[in-house]
Amino acid sequence: MVEEAPVLTARRGRRRTRGGGLRYPAWLALPALAWYGAFFLAPLAFICAYSFAELTGFAGVDFTWNLENYRYLWDPLYGEVFLRTLGLASFGTAATLAIGFPFAYWLARYARAKTLLLLLVVLPFWTSFLIRTYAWLIILDPGFPLFRALDADLLYSTQAIYIGVVYNYLPLMVLPLYAALERMDWSLVEAAGDLGDNAFRAFRRVTLPLALPGIVAGSLLVFIPLTGEYLIPVILGGNKTAYTGTLIAQQFSEAHDWPFGSAIAMVVIAGMTVVLVAFSRIAARGEVASG
Amino acid sequence: MDEQHPLWERPFDRKGFVAGTAALIAAAGLGRVGDAFAAPAAPSGQLFYYNWADYVNPATYKAFTNKTGITVKKDFYVSNEALLAKLKGGARGYDLAVPTGYMVQILAQEKLLEPIRWAKLPNVTRNINSKFRHLPFDANERWSVAKDWGTTGFIYRTDKVKERPTTWREFVNLTKTKYSGKVTVLDGIPEVIGSMLVMLGYSYNSDSRSELDKAKKELLALKPHLLAITSTEYKQLLISGRAVMGLGWNGDGAAVAAKKPAAYVVPKEGGEFWVDSYVIPKGAKNPDAAHAWINYVYGPKQNSVETSYTYYGTPLKPALVKPHLTNAIFTNPAVFPPVRTLAKLEPNKVSPRGTALRSRIWTEFKNA
Repeated sequence: MVEEAPVLTARRGRRRTRGGGLRYPAWLALPALAWYGAFFLAPLAFICAYSFAELTGFAGVDFTWNLENYRYLWDPLYGEVFLRTLGLASFGTAATLAIGFPFAYWLARYARAKTLLLLLVVLPFWTSFLIRTYAWLIILDPGFPLFRALDADLLYSTQAIYIGVVYNYLPLMVLPLYAALERMDWSLVEAAGDLGDNAFRAFRRVTLPLALPGIVAGSLLVFIPLTGEYLIPVILGGNKTAYTGTLIAQQFSEAHDWPFGSAIAMVVIAGMTVVLVAFSRIAARGEVASG
Repeated sequence: MDEQHPLWERPFDRKGFVAGTAALIAAAGLGRVGDAFAAPAAPSGQLFYYNWADYVNPATYKAFTNKTGITVKKDFYVSNEALLAKLKGGARGYDLAVPTGYMVQILAQEKLLEPIRWAKLPNVTRNINSKFRHLPFDANERWSVAKDWGTTGFIYRTDKVKERPTTWREFVNLTKTKYSGKVTVLDGIPEVIGSMLVMLGYSYNSDSRSELDKAKKELLALKPHLLAITSTEYKQLLISGRAVMGLGWNGDGAAVAAKKPAAYVVPKEGGEFWVDSYVIPKGAKNPDAAHAWINYVYGPKQNSVETSYTYYGTPLKPALVKPHLTNAIFTNPAVFPPVRTLAKLEPNKVSPRGTALRSRIWTEFKNA
């Protein structure tokens, strides 16, 4: 009896934590799994197979085990393209974070008409990405009042690409940041102040760790698509600069060299996987830190 | 509409169903599911026309639908290579497309075309200029019917470029100096690299590594002075005056000249001569509608409506279209270049090896 009691309570305790709600039927995940299998894993397998294939004639492909495509990629020319793309993605992430964080902070903590402001953040998504990017051609035209006043001619320049990137990706950064900051218990910040932290220290030691999951989520949402960005360099950059997205498109549609295009895509995917793992490590550490 | 062809229809109907289903699956991957492949099976029905942008007079669509009851669904490509990539990738359901000669040959080799039924094209056999029959890229006329023809050269705004350039060398030198930042080139690998080769005195279709290297040097030196690399927006840039010169096609040159003072030049060194031809892509759902379209636009009057809009040369007998065209178009050397100009031009015949070398140069050009 004496020995039995703790076992019983332990078992009961285990059962209680496990059966905290209704059981989730695993088959509900099937549609999503089937979708990912058919439209993500299968195409990925195709790309992988193509990346080892050999181009024959104009557009023919021989499926072999051929490393030439990867060897061909080992070339400073393509290294430059990758670095430029990395620069664009890093800039886009840093800039949207720098602009988006203060805004999301204000929105979550101080703003009055939150719903209305959030609506304004989401509003651009109601128009096609393509049309919004084309609209920037009008704004960036040197005849447009703003840039005429500044005497700046940014149309089809690298700066135009950077402006387009910040504009298009900002909402993707703001929304996860807002979601994280909205959940914040601001009394913790006040408590840190009461216990002697100045505003900066309280921000660094309380707000920032609690917002970290939002920062990571927003950064991934911006960084990853940017590594394959195609439209903005083509439309706002005058199609003059090579990024991995435009380089891959060129192999597929202009050079009809699918094997080489696939090899470039595989390298980008591998690089992104590394970034994803690194970010998820940071996020995990952040969650541990914030308890 | 016209007579039934049971022998022709039967096997293709079934094939069409399978191909259509495959296209739907392929289309899902390409993000273009929808009514695109939901055309009714009736021979009137719908024509799915895959074309270069701005290559049909909008009035012709309406007139064709009024005449035949066939509605036209449109999709566009920016280059022959993009068309090949799409069809090679498994996109099906297109009834009609207009590749350039060399691409007709490649598409036929890749078994991506359905044959042309000449019996259904009485207007073509009656009205075509015999020069446009049995063209070298399709000598047996099994796969294609000429749509129109033209040249690749450059366009400049005569009110802004007073130097009146007539050669590729002048085009390049002016771009690098006085008009830096105000010049565009096509987003077309063979056109741009071929023009530099011709300027250097080589063949448009050169496969030689050393010749291509020299062309590359010219391009890399040109690059910092370009406004944009575009095949679709340069017309607008020239009309607005943002660009004052552009490497491009004669029809676009004439179209710019119709709105602003501008001239189209076939450079003295030479350049490309091309013929775009109607083809019926594999897995077409309504080849009857495609034949009906080709036959319709081969009427002299209907064809002149097209020429007056696209400003590209017609393959019809000149005497037939003359009464329907304004004198300004009929005598415009940009639309109908004189024979001695044409003598210097070459069609695109770049080999697979040449294509691979050009692709690498193009990346360097874009990377510069």
